[in-house]
Amino acid sequence: MTTKLFGEPIPRREDPRLVAGAGRYLDDIDEPGQLAAAFVRSPHAHASIVDIDVTGALEVDGLVAVYTYEDLAGPLAQPLPLLIPHPSLRAARTPYPLAKDRVRHVGEAVAMVVATDRYLAEDAAQRIRVTYQPLPPVVGLDAASKAGHLVHEDVPDNVSAHLVQEVGDAAAAIAAAPHRLHLELHIERSASMPMEGRGVHARWDETDRSLRVYSSTQTSTSLRFALAAKLDLPVDRVEVVTPDVGGGFGVKIVHPWPEEVLVPWAAIRLRRPVKWAEDRREHFISSAHERGQQHSVDVGFDDDGRLLGLSVKFLHDNGAYTPYGIIVPQVTSTQLPGPYRLGAYRVEFHSLYTNTVQVTPYRGAGRPHGVFVMERTMDAIAAALGLDRTVVRERNFIQPEQMPYDQGLIFQDGRPLVYDSGDYPAALRLAKKLVGWDEFTAVREQARAQGRRVGIGIACYVEGTGVGPYEGAYVRVETTGKVVVATGLTTQGQGHETVFAQIAADQLGVPVENVNVVTGDTRRFAFAVGTFASRAAVMSGNAVAAAAGKVRAKALRIAGEALEVDPADLSIVDGVVSVKGTPQAAIPLASVAVLANPLRYAFDEQAKQATQFAVGGGIHRPPVAEDDEPGLAATGYYSPVRSTFANGVHAAVVETDPETAEIRILRYCVVHDCGRLINPRIVQGQVHGGVAQGVGGALYERIVYDEHGQLLNASYMDFLIPYASEVPAIEIDHLQTPSPLNPLGIKGAGEAGVIPGAAVLAAAIEDAEGIPVHRMPICPSELWELRNADHR
Amino acid sequence: MRITGEAGLRAPAGEVFKALHDPEVLVRTIPGCRRLDLVGPDSYTMVVHAGVAAVKGEFAGEVRLSDPDPPHGFTLHASGSGAPGTVTATVDVTLVEVDGSTVVSYAADAEIGGMIGGVGQRLLGSVATKTAAEFFAAVDAEMTGAVGPAAVEPTRAEPAQKRSFVAPVRPRPAPATFLAGAIVGAAAALLGALVGGLVATRAGRR
Repeated sequence: MTTKLFGEPIPRREDPRLVAGAGRYLDDIDEPGQLAAAFVRSPHAHASIVDIDVTGALEVDGLVAVYTYEDLAGPLAQPLPLLIPHPSLRAARTPYPLAKDRVRHVGEAVAMVVATDRYLAEDAAQRIRVTYQPLPPVVGLDAASKAGHLVHEDVPDNVSAHLVQEVGDAAAAIAAAPHRLHLELHIERSASMPMEGRGVHARWDETDRSLRVYSSTQTSTSLRFALAAKLDLPVDRVEVVTPDVGGGFGVKIVHPWPEEVLVPWAAIRLRRPVKWAEDRREHFISSAHERGQQHSVDVGFDDDGRLLGLSVKFLHDNGAYTPYGIIVPQVTSTQLPGPYRLGAYRVEFHSLYTNTVQVTPYRGAGRPHGVFVMERTMDAIAAALGLDRTVVRERNFIQPEQMPYDQGLIFQDGRPLVYDSGDYPAALRLAKKLVGWDEFTAVREQARAQGRRVGIGIACYVEGTGVGPYEGAYVRVETTGKVVVATGLTTQGQGHETVFAQIAADQLGVPVENVNVVTGDTRRFAFAVGTFASRAAVMSGNAVAAAAGKVRAKALRIAGEALEVDPADLSIVDGVVSVKGTPQAAIPLASVAVLANPLRYAFDEQAKQATQFAVGGGIHRPPVAEDDEPGLAATGYYSPVRSTFANGVHAAVVETDPETAEIRILRYCVVHDCGRLINPRIVQGQVHGGVAQGVGGALYERIVYDEHGQLLNASYMDFLIPYASEVPAIEIDHLQTPSPLNPLGIKGAGEAGVIPGAAVLAAAIEDAEGIPVHRMPICPSELWELRNADHR
Repeated sequence: MRITGEAGLRAPAGEVFKALHDPEVLVRTIPGCRRLDLVGPDSYTMVVHAGVAAVKGEFAGEVRLSDPDPPHGFTLHASGSGAPGTVTATVDVTLVEVDGSTVVSYAADAEIGGMIGGVGQRLLGSVATKTAAEFFAAVDAEMTGAVGPAAVEPTRAEPAQKRSFVAPVRPRPAPATFLAGAIVGAAAALLGALVGGLVATRAGRR
């Protein structure tokens, strides 16, 4: 009997390889004759380029080439693509691969140097003298919205996008409400900081006229199309392979990066392999950031704390360019309502240019900000009415019987925002029980009596996951009985080798060890979208199930013919097809695979069984039927009508030091509902990682620019990522409310852990201190300042 | 970033000016200064070598003077760039004579870019101030005769409006700040030298 694999917490199959150092990351790729690239980057936030003098670099032995904008031609001399256009994005601007005339943030690439190794490339890069005429920089949302200076000369108000969505008449509802509150809620800029930076390796085969590119990317298929377009190559002459990737967290979904087009372009021109692996400082100043938003909230509610109207206006700092469109503020504006019936809702945002690194989605992608706004508002309502914070939430919850629930908004996939399923009251009940909410008043008082300050916070969220348009998968049973699974979306450590194998193994009745999973390799699967928006399990998971289901049906049909029984009477257990109740009437799946591919040549012993004289019967029909294909293989796709919505509740207990204002997390509890779990261990790992990142975003990590647009903390000495010592033990409980939208009933889990972090920790600190916390992240010195301001 | 500080020199303002008047003194006393060139009225270029361990580099700097208010103060505009990064600074300098000694106060508003700006910013202010103090201590020593003038041979003769001053090659004790860490040290030395250099250069013009 094969163990049922779907839902089993089996260990991650990729870990022995990765933990033992046997992974192969971008920078591990080395080839004979390979060259290295380095980049000259702007030290100014905003400047005209007056002159680029490369003569100093020419003295460096080992220098192969120096390129500036003037060397680019054709599509490569055009700005990089606007990946996600939107009607509200009225002034989209994207960078050139190398700056043309002007730089708009510190770190923008100005010249590329190629040399025989990276050391020499950097030496040469340092000798290139660029003369700049500095221009006044625009830094911060206040400066951007005042528009005293412009980031782009032809965008007179620094506004890239402006969008309003409204359900009902929020202004009237708020005006008529018995109670009203106004809140200013800010989230500062941060960055996702994958341990492995970006990187690209390219090799041009002159004889074959083909290009192979390795990239540490979240989308190999779309990068392939982008490269073909930018380099003017036929798509079938370009292949993109994703090696092991040391974290993505959203930043690597952006493509093609300047370096990602320039390195392959140089490889073609120089007829030699070229590699560039980003260093940490480059990642800080030339990849992408996120999170910076300022929200202005007006809410009206009744005596019971029920929401009657909510109006949110916010400013989004999109940095110098908008390659990823309005996705982040769009997600904030649409995910902000969370699990609540809002009454009337109006949301309006302006996305603003600043002379800083561009802003693109980072794990959570606008949701942490939205949840921060909604949950801080809920707490403020509770405080205003003297109600328990969970009671206010309960009174506003969408109820399970109201599902599917249409929020009346348009989501980031261009589809109506309709919650497919979820039991929010049950999730809150579980979280309260897990953290001991009802007993906490006594805990708090007891601590007070000892001179300690402890506080509790709770935050709920709903997360749209698994956005389309589609993913696909190819599943083939080989004549050895091994199963090959290929899907086009990429892997950055999520455990895809494990969960996709579980799904395929379950469908096919084979041991999971027999399944080999390949992701992110356009040679193996060409049609895919990419890994983002907690979509891999939902999208590729269901595609793998679809493909494996077809293979199973075919296996049963062929086995039925071989065993002369009705396929409906067959089952597959441990890789053997047998008649239910008559296990001796059986044929191994490996043999079925042999039979599925009629052969002329007996190249090995097994093949003999499939040659024309071995296969009897049916001499009047073709060996492969008209509607059939050779091989025990199939391709399947999954394309959802719209996103599926996961949800959860986080609760945290913190202690703040009465003197030093140090903030310590005593407990962190998570109730998480992502539908049916493929592998609870992996979901738990995703939650752990997300919470760690949420703690970082709430208490430690932030990107700090000075007024000149210089990034002040571009290293891990000053950008503080929490260690294990700062991440609390995480207590998790799961709810499983299946999604009715996909056959497996699953929802995404990749981002959930990070989403309510700022909201729940702000709430707990506020509870401990009795001081409103309206800006995150918060560090001890800021808490100390809050205390002082409160006393004044 | 803003960097402020002051230093006391054991000489009347007039003598301080006189000592600082001599670019050969400046090139010896500015930490890491390799050469100082008078390139035009109120305009100098200088080369500063700064760095520790693996992070070393030469910075080519320019200095321009404005708003002179002799002998009370003046403003300096400086920019420097090199492998470790860039510095652009505006420095307000005031001189006050007290009981035969001179207090030099400086307030620098600096934009620090490139690698040093991003990775060392947090510590730059305090270490730069310290490095500037070392400069003033060296000038003070020159004036009070604590060290004898080193033998300096200008490498080339230049017309009066375009003169070069080259630092002598000699072992220089590593200031304590140079142990503070490679990157921070490099950054600080650069900024400290510029701040110090600016003061000195202005004085040297008189």
